[in-house]
Amino acid sequence: MSQVRSVEAGRAAPPRRSGSATPGVRRSPVRRAKDAGWGLVAIVVFALFVFPVYWMLNTSFLPNNRIRGEEISFFPTPDVFTLDNYRSAMFSEERAPFAPAVMNSLSTTFLTLVVCLVIGFVASIALTRFTFKGRRTFIILILVIQMIPGEAMIISLYRIIDGWALINTIIGLSAVYVAGVLPFTIWTLRGFVAGVPKELEEAAMVDGCSPAGAFWRVTFPLLAPGLVATGIFAFINAWNDFVLALVIMQRPDTMTLTLWLRTFVLVTQATNWGAVMAAAVLVAIPAVIFFLIVQGRMSGGLVAGAVKG
Amino acid sequence: MGAATHRTDITGKTERNDFVRKNRLVAVTAAASMTMALGACSSGAEAGDGDGGPATGEVRVWLVGTDTPDEARDYLKKTFEEQNEGSTLVIEEQAWDGLVDKYTTALAGSDAPDVVEVGNTQASAFTSNGYFSEITAEEFEELGGSDLLPGFVEAGDWEGAHYALPYYAGSRAVFYSPQLVDAEPPATLDEYVETAKGLYDEGKFSGVWWPGQDWYNALPFIWENGGYIAEQADDGTWEAGFSSEGGIAGLTQIQDLMLNASNAPKDGQETDLQVPFCEGKIGYLSAPTWIQWSINAPEEPETEDGVPGCASTYGGDLEAFALPGKDGGAAQVFAGGSNIAIAQKSEHRDLAYEALKIMLSDEYQSILAGIGLIPAKVSLAGEVPQDTSIGAAGVEAAANAKLTPATPKWADVEAQTVLQTQFTRLANGEDVEQVAADLDAEIESILNG
Amino acid sequence: MSSLATEAAAPPAPAPTPPRPRRRRFPTVPWLLLSGSILILGVLTGYPVVRMLVMSFQEYERAQVMGMPAEWVGLDNYVAILTDSGFWEVLGRSIVFMVVAVTLTMVLGTLVALLMMRLGRKMRLLVSVGLLLAWSMPPLSSTTIWGWIFDTEYGLVNNLLTRITGDRWFGHSWLLDPLGFFTILTFIIVWGAIPFVAFTMYAGLSQIPGEVLEAAQLDGAGPFARFRLVMLPYVRTIVTVLVVLSMIWDLKVFPQVYALQDIGGDREKTNTIGVYIYQMGMGQGHFGMASAIAFVFVAIMLLLSVYYVRRTIKEEEL
Repeated sequence: MSQVRSVEAGRAAPPRRSGSATPGVRRSPVRRAKDAGWGLVAIVVFALFVFPVYWMLNTSFLPNNRIRGEEISFFPTPDVFTLDNYRSAMFSEERAPFAPAVMNSLSTTFLTLVVCLVIGFVASIALTRFTFKGRRTFIILILVIQMIPGEAMIISLYRIIDGWALINTIIGLSAVYVAGVLPFTIWTLRGFVAGVPKELEEAAMVDGCSPAGAFWRVTFPLLAPGLVATGIFAFINAWNDFVLALVIMQRPDTMTLTLWLRTFVLVTQATNWGAVMAAAVLVAIPAVIFFLIVQGRMSGGLVAGAVKG
Repeated sequence: MGAATHRTDITGKTERNDFVRKNRLVAVTAAASMTMALGACSSGAEAGDGDGGPATGEVRVWLVGTDTPDEARDYLKKTFEEQNEGSTLVIEEQAWDGLVDKYTTALAGSDAPDVVEVGNTQASAFTSNGYFSEITAEEFEELGGSDLLPGFVEAGDWEGAHYALPYYAGSRAVFYSPQLVDAEPPATLDEYVETAKGLYDEGKFSGVWWPGQDWYNALPFIWENGGYIAEQADDGTWEAGFSSEGGIAGLTQIQDLMLNASNAPKDGQETDLQVPFCEGKIGYLSAPTWIQWSINAPEEPETEDGVPGCASTYGGDLEAFALPGKDGGAAQVFAGGSNIAIAQKSEHRDLAYEALKIMLSDEYQSILAGIGLIPAKVSLAGEVPQDTSIGAAGVEAAANAKLTPATPKWADVEAQTVLQTQFTRLANGEDVEQVAADLDAEIESILNG
Repeated sequence: MSSLATEAAAPPAPAPTPPRPRRRRFPTVPWLLLSGSILILGVLTGYPVVRMLVMSFQEYERAQVMGMPAEWVGLDNYVAILTDSGFWEVLGRSIVFMVVAVTLTMVLGTLVALLMMRLGRKMRLLVSVGLLLAWSMPPLSSTTIWGWIFDTEYGLVNNLLTRITGDRWFGHSWLLDPLGFFTILTFIIVWGAIPFVAFTMYAGLSQIPGEVLEAAQLDGAGPFARFRLVMLPYVRTIVTVLVVLSMIWDLKVFPQVYALQDIGGDREKTNTIGVYIYQMGMGQGHFGMASAIAFVFVAIMLLLSVYYVRRTIKEEEL
């Protein structure tokens, strides 16, 4: 990997002095040198994390003869740059259709996310704002459920969904996902809700808010990072699964994106790495977009959830 | 789910598989599925609005992978819809990856397809568990009877009844380019080995191309030398035969080729074979016959999915011969392929049968034969184009094709990649007798487990 | 929320089995709030778990999926598993892998978080972008990428090695050797898991008041001592949670192993517990056995996490 690293570091911007240093720290020459050193480390770390992604993108824009050659093409220069891999992945007659797969994945993930957050949120309020008998049992159950390997439940889940005639439906698949993510959602959200002091609500009630009003106006906004954090996990679970989708979504037009990607990896003929990489990019794009949108809102929130644990 | 098995070709459509551990259960299963089959028949008739006319509906056919050409698919749909007015036929293509897992649930569910293709070594996982509707003796006769490929019929039988019928088979041939190999095809297996070793130039040119995990090409050497994979004794136990005299002789010959005639990766798989061939690095390439389409393809792929071939160089004058046997003639090679069956839970059993009838018709099977697949009917073998040496070699080899041991547990041997792992050891120069002993021990423990 | 105060003062409510007001003080509101979760988890988790429990005492194969009555075999499945060296190998392998992956993830993740503390805004943003990209990569995509980088025939690693060493590396399979397989698997998992740990640790560390750290520095504490004595106590709960979560995730790891096995590798020697259960059930149709393995696994997980579970129970008693 050392080669890889140096190549990458060479490509990235030259080490610049990092931006404004932490306030309150004087900027001595030693300090500057140190900053530059850390900046360099930062670039190396960045390169290490980005490299596989860069390599995937690079391959996806190269024609097959470049991919298979003994020459290494580190960049899809204009003379070899091609979109054929994407065209092939998305529109080829011989492949499973792309557009329905995107729609299925998006709608399943969205449904899972929303249902999980709503139900998990409500449950977490019950578990933090009330004391009642059975609460502890419920919490322990939620914890233990997370230890069960889901792979053993596939057959039973399939039969339930089949019994409800929800095979090949987004609702059926989402229901299974919700059940899979909900324990974690409740577990984490419970930490967030507990992290918001009751006194805040009580203060609002003193100011004339109804209990519910106090909750919605005061506590809820403070929970946004928590909802984002748990939403991410719901997203990850629903977007990335392919085992449950394999048994529940049986028709070609009900495939999810992960199933669609699986059709590329194993064909009876030679692996078309260019198309596989293009497909991998296509599966990743919505996830990257989602993460970019929510990332600003989550980092502080993760801590609040974690503290209660 | 072996990567190796998936990636290989139609001769390797093998996945994990299953079996019922107790015969008593099996018998009950068979009986139950018979009654269920009758039930399915009658319910199908009821769907016909009770006016005595034929039932109509949508028949869903699951074909796996891209082996079935578009021409055949179109023919199937068109013919079916002509013959069964009011009914429609939908082909839904499935992936080989995860097929057994998917069938396990999908065929047991409420939205089951009607007709399904299944790899021949996967078939027993379903025939033995009541997943397929029984093909009655009369139906069997109507569909071709004794004309159907016997080995494949056997693969789809369970407890003396037919469940899955042959769909097509694959065949293997030895490919070469006269530009690279200027010699008459060898007449015997030993001559083949000697010629290949003579062509070998370490690091540059391979007499044969033998990736370490490739076991399909190894079986002929075992069989031709008088060895066997596993045979069933009278008491029902299986005895593996790699350590037999013939087995050792075969393995020795295989190792000789791996070490002294091949530059292929010692742990590689049988994939992307056309690439080294097109680079002009291979003398003899023993491969499934469809590889000709990959080799004799343009350098710049016409279709977007195409993988570059070398039509203008080594692919243009591609020749082939059937792997020669120990004493001349064609060697016994391993044949893979697909079976086809009607799902037990098909809602339109009679319509599904109509579709099956078309798929096993002479016209349909001739289309398959036209692209070099070995058709499901022996009498149609002549339909495989034999104007080239390739076609002739494929048919010649198929006539002498053999299958793996006829037990549902064989699929577990493949699922656990026993052969791949052990042949890799062979390619790395390990002791033949030790590898043979380990192979036998592992195979016996699975087959008798 | 007015019920809150009265609830706290009230004597413990009666056993809450049926969600209807048996006595006046039954806590209707919380159970109502929980009803959605209970319904979903009861039907889609509770019921399958009960089914699994039943199946684990039966010979349940594909034929039973098709509707054949299942035969009771008592503890046979459990005995078969516990006496099968294959199972213990898989379990041992999974645990070793989990320990290695969790250790690497935690150490490297914390180091990245500390690095981010040191950096200015721009550089921190750069690192964050890298982390975010790695984090958002779907496991199936990332496994495919890493599989491609280490590809036997055309992979970048073999290509570079050939150039550097002069030996011919084309055709070398990294995945076939179980050690190589797990090294690459560790790359994939750790690469994907560091971002979550790094972000969370960074968020935790940056909440430590600056004065505390400065005071420690003035007292002459070295960087390591500062981390161990000042920072770590602040983030101890976060670390615990991260470790527990990482342990659960890495022990149950499924898609990466499954997909990597398809790219190459000896299944028998590279199965981890999730894939093993899947193979046993969906792959080979031994659903009874698969269920029994799942229960054995849960028991082992409970043993491993007994400290954490007990702590949680204690907390909830308050």
